[in-house]
Amino acid sequence: MLRFCVVAVATLYLATAGCAVVRPHERQNLARRSMTEDRDAGQRRFSQHQTGSREGADGGTGEPGGGCGCN
Amino acid sequence: MQLRPALVALLALAGVAHADGELTVRGAYYKEKATRVTQPMIDVRLDVGEHGTVDGHMLADAITSASVGAFQETRIEAGGGYSHIFMDETLTLGADFRYSSEPDYKSTFGVVRGAKELADRNFTIGGALAGGLDKMSGIVGMNVRTGELKTGLASINASQILSPNLVVGVTFDLIAMRGEQANLYRSVIANGMELPEEAPDYRRRQAIAGSVKYWLIPTSTTLIGTYRYYFDTWDIAAHTPELRAIQDVDDVAWFTARYRYHTQRKAFFFEDRYPDGVIPELPSDDQKLSKFQSHTMGAQLEVAGEAFGFTDRLGATRAQIVIEYIVQSTAFGNAVVAHAALTVPIEY
Repeated sequence: MLRFCVVAVATLYLATAGCAVVRPHERQNLARRSMTEDRDAGQRRFSQHQTGSREGADGGTGEPGGGCGCN
Repeated sequence: MQLRPALVALLALAGVAHADGELTVRGAYYKEKATRVTQPMIDVRLDVGEHGTVDGHMLADAITSASVGAFQETRIEAGGGYSHIFMDETLTLGADFRYSSEPDYKSTFGVVRGAKELADRNFTIGGALAGGLDKMSGIVGMNVRTGELKTGLASINASQILSPNLVVGVTFDLIAMRGEQANLYRSVIANGMELPEEAPDYRRRQAIAGSVKYWLIPTSTTLIGTYRYYFDTWDIAAHTPELRAIQDVDDVAWFTARYRYHTQRKAFFFEDRYPDGVIPELPSDDQKLSKFQSHTMGAQLEVAGEAFGFTDRLGATRAQIVIEYIVQSTAFGNAVVAHAALTVPIEY
């Protein structure tokens, strides 16, 4: 699986390397709040804690879950 | 005490020249048939010099449950971290920690992470390594049950800007857990006997998630689509797609509609009930290890003070309300989630 992901990331990079480069002055929409952080740290943390306590699946966020006796 | 270094760091910031940050106070509420959780929390983020950011949080979970006997418990969690930007602001390195304590469960977690921007900052690749140690101890009947759980996480992520309005990303997490993973207090009835819940000592969890974010120019709407595929060595496999639409109103108010679907296969040792004559090696009827589906529907409104004519700090202060309803096919039953939050900018 790890090998698959390394290949997936490399493929994403190579597949998009030929894309037109978006210059800094063209990024005003990408810099908007809703495009960068539509959910803040506390909201994400509570949501992950809640789903980690009620679902058998965790991960995919880059953050470790768990940390309580409700798991 | 892990809080001390974070407090020293925060106090040291008093002497730093003009910089910015944010303080968020949030109250979260979760209610389902037999469990209620209220969680007040504080999050702070502060710039440190030209290239550093320090963040910290503290929360208290008040849990009331009638599912495993009636109990009421409070969990306290504190955490913090620091990140620094190097190399023409294209490399970010950081570390975070958190400590959580409840009467019968202590948890410590640390993570180091990094991200590098490439291709004129159109492509970002990042990774994280984390480790945790949980210790638990509880009185069950006449016995004291104790346990320890070690967790390790390796994560890799990448994102690519495809156009001035479109960015895609992918994350892969590998999580290994070894130690006590059953609830100390739960028991299972099998063959007329009450047996303590058991789970395998080892679990390897893998998840790959992809995301697409698109800014829709005509309506000033952000559309976010995510999908996660998860599987582990307990034979659980899960699909979790999610859609969010965020309506931006003149950069002073944001309305979000959200839908999330989750479906999973059961763990190989889970059973709702055991037939007569069967004494399972790993007894468990833990509902979150069952085969089930859930639907989450949510709405969120966030408004900045500027929308009401305020300026300066009041103008940049944001208030937020979140309401979610979760339909779950497990015995947990349907649930309601609500948040209220206030974010205040800090200048020092």
